[in-house]
Amino acid sequence: MDGQEELMLVMSNITKRFPGIVANDHVNFALRKGEIHALLGENGAGKTTLMNVLDSIYYPDEGEIVIEGKRVDLRSPLDSMKHGIGMIHQHFMLVDSLSVIENVILGLESQGFYIDKKSVAGRIEAIAKKYSFRVDPYAKIWQLSVGEQQRVEIIKTLFKGARILILDEPTAVLTPQESDELFGILREMKSEGKSIIFISHKLNEVMSVSDRVTVLRKGRLVGTIDTASITERELAKMMIGRDVLFRLERKDIEQGREILKVEDAQVYDDRGIMALNKLSITVHGGEIMGVAGVAGNGQVQLAECITGLRHLVSGHVMVEGIDVTNATPCTLASAGVNYIPADRLGVGLVPNLSTVENAMLRRYRQEPIRRGTFIDYGAACAYADGLIEKFDIAVPLRNAPVKVLSGGNMQKLLLAREIEENPRLLIAEHPTRGLDVGATEFVRKTLLEQRDNGVAVLLISEDLDEILMVADRIAVMYEGRIVGIVDAHHVDIAQIGLMMTGAVGVKV
Amino acid sequence: MLRFEKRDKTPVRLRVLVPICSVLLGLLAGSVVMLFARVNPVRVYGAIVKGAFGSAYTFSETLVIAVPLILISVGLCLVYRMKFFNIGAKGQYIMGAICGSYLALFGPATMSRPVLLTLMLVLGTLGGALWAIIPALLKVYWNVNEVIATLLLNYIASYILWFFMYGTWGTRGFPLSKNFALNAQLPRILPAPSRLHIGLFFGLAAAVIVWIIIRKTRFGYETRVLGDNERAARYAGINVFKTVIIAAVISGGLAGLAGIAHTSAVLRILQLEINSDYGYTAIIAAWLAGLDPLVAVGVSVLLAALEAGGYQIQIVMRVPFGIVGVIESSILFCLLAGEIITHYRVTLTRRLSTPPRSTPRIGKKCSGALDERARGAHESCL
Repeated sequence: MDGQEELMLVMSNITKRFPGIVANDHVNFALRKGEIHALLGENGAGKTTLMNVLDSIYYPDEGEIVIEGKRVDLRSPLDSMKHGIGMIHQHFMLVDSLSVIENVILGLESQGFYIDKKSVAGRIEAIAKKYSFRVDPYAKIWQLSVGEQQRVEIIKTLFKGARILILDEPTAVLTPQESDELFGILREMKSEGKSIIFISHKLNEVMSVSDRVTVLRKGRLVGTIDTASITERELAKMMIGRDVLFRLERKDIEQGREILKVEDAQVYDDRGIMALNKLSITVHGGEIMGVAGVAGNGQVQLAECITGLRHLVSGHVMVEGIDVTNATPCTLASAGVNYIPADRLGVGLVPNLSTVENAMLRRYRQEPIRRGTFIDYGAACAYADGLIEKFDIAVPLRNAPVKVLSGGNMQKLLLAREIEENPRLLIAEHPTRGLDVGATEFVRKTLLEQRDNGVAVLLISEDLDEILMVADRIAVMYEGRIVGIVDAHHVDIAQIGLMMTGAVGVKV
Repeated sequence: MLRFEKRDKTPVRLRVLVPICSVLLGLLAGSVVMLFARVNPVRVYGAIVKGAFGSAYTFSETLVIAVPLILISVGLCLVYRMKFFNIGAKGQYIMGAICGSYLALFGPATMSRPVLLTLMLVLGTLGGALWAIIPALLKVYWNVNEVIATLLLNYIASYILWFFMYGTWGTRGFPLSKNFALNAQLPRILPAPSRLHIGLFFGLAAAVIVWIIIRKTRFGYETRVLGDNERAARYAGINVFKTVIIAAVISGGLAGLAGIAHTSAVLRILQLEINSDYGYTAIIAAWLAGLDPLVAVGVSVLLAALEAGGYQIQIVMRVPFGIVGVIESSILFCLLAGEIITHYRVTLTRRLSTPPRSTPRIGKKCSGALDERARGAHESCL
């Protein structure tokens, strides 16, 4: 490492334990002044935990933190703020119903009883101008796009005088264009001497934007290197500990007949705003239809209205020619519609019930689990054991609440449960979000298997790479409509990016 | 600095010790209050124990109070698991008493005892059920908060009782009905003066049946799924409407049954004070029992003992009955506080100043729960 005076931040021997897991195991991390330092690792590698230690969300069990040569003890987010640390979390910490100004000054001690909105607005605009982007200080957060909200988060940290900026997977919710703009802002900040930590598990971003990269694996430090001196493949190997499959094998199969047909669907979201605006889409058997789009453009509602969880105001949903518009979940189940929801614990699973009780959720009305009024828990256990074995799910105790399972195993359980119903139509919403590489591979392979078996798969994902990897056709959603459908085999990412922002429409 | 870490699993030792210590601590806290009231806590507690368990008679009186607590709390175990927070057992109890008593007071006098009693119990159960269906319907149709609805219905039920007692059901202007005829009195099971009645068997049967419903039946499974995750329940095709209504009917019906049984067997008269506050005590019983109907039986007996003993100290020691409330709530408080120890590992840490050790400690075995907060906020990225 270079001269000591150049170092902005040194974390040494940071250890943080959670019950049953060491999230950070004696991790060392050093950040230079004026660099963009990527923190790379799989899910569960301990990246976020390490940064949460800096942001005082966690207090480390062991280790010390030195900022600009001085030992610091970070006990509350206020301490972190005082030492110039600002973190932009993956899930934004903004109050939706408040304005940009109100969010920016939230928690600032310097504000007195009276809030001088005008001067705050001026300072916000000055910051925005410096990095050449625009934001309306008086807009309410809920009125802003996700990209704009992220900028508010950035302004918030700069307003508080942050010199170390931590961004936790900032591009997960952005379009390719928005990501590029974000990188521009980051480079600008770097040239001003700010130090930036950039958490990611997307290799191409790390390669393109960072100066150095630190790789974590299973809570331990693998190493820190100059980005220029390493290839993408080598980084991947460091991150995972083995070579990764970048391509999945996919058979060429005949497209089957039409299975799902959605016609002119109109649906409102929870706030009563039109979420699907006369949307139409068809999916065939033996085809994976990828739905791409920036989060919040109606993807959730599309899945919900097909699965009977949201009421269609007008339009039709047909499965194999049968009208299932606003049908009950029971009817849909018998029509062969199965669903892997994005929110595993919120929609798919029942967190406090056991693995067995979750496994039988789609089966408890059928023999042999059903015994008249009663449930045969013996049969239910046998059924669950079958799934656990077939899908290789790691379940420490099958009678323990399902919420103690790891994200990957929860997803496997959910996938197993739904696939075991022999679906005709499988709707998978962000099926690999939050999963590590191994589990991700498994889920994608399973989806492809289903496709090969003639199932129609509707894959909703915000991970464009995933869609490109497994989908046959790609539908791009923007503001409740399909703005274009493209063939996944010859596709232009820039084109999709433009479609995601509603800039162009292509009809096929 | 205190540090809290979620436990993967609570050791059995703690699960037994913590509640016992909590109760003792609660009693200790109650003693402090008694010292302020210048009474000897040891004597008061002695009197309570004696008053509740001192003789066969006092114990049977404890059980008299336990019967309605058991009936109500068992039903609450079911609805609370479904996260339908019925706090209207008081009103359901009153409506049960009113509906059942109607038959006792104005029914055909010639009806045979078993038939009349059966009808009274059925009518009482229906009355309680009706009073629980109202908030259930409001909940499923308009998403009206059941806590508010059931609470307000308690007042309405109370005033309906007032209306009848000061109206046509009272006698000579007093808010007391005429005495129930022998035919309308639920049989007592022990020789006088004990007032213990066959409602005890109803309570025990209800506890076992509700336990079976929760643990073994499809309906019980559906209530548990619904209570933990309504969206998953809907997606699984569970009829939310039907499930909520049926569970509310069971819980309200049991409270109504408690009301008419207590009135007919113990009071043998309908009056303004029919001990409807059991409807609130039963809430405590259900929670303390961890929503397990079988445990609720035991907890109900203990709470009944405190209550029965409380009457004794009032009479014998001239200590205000309010002391019982103080003891009850300090025990509850300590039990709830004790749950922190059963759910979390609490350690005292000093500020981080020791140099980090070089040998990494291996994490505990058992791939267990991650920190809840970590999972909630950063599910994907811990």
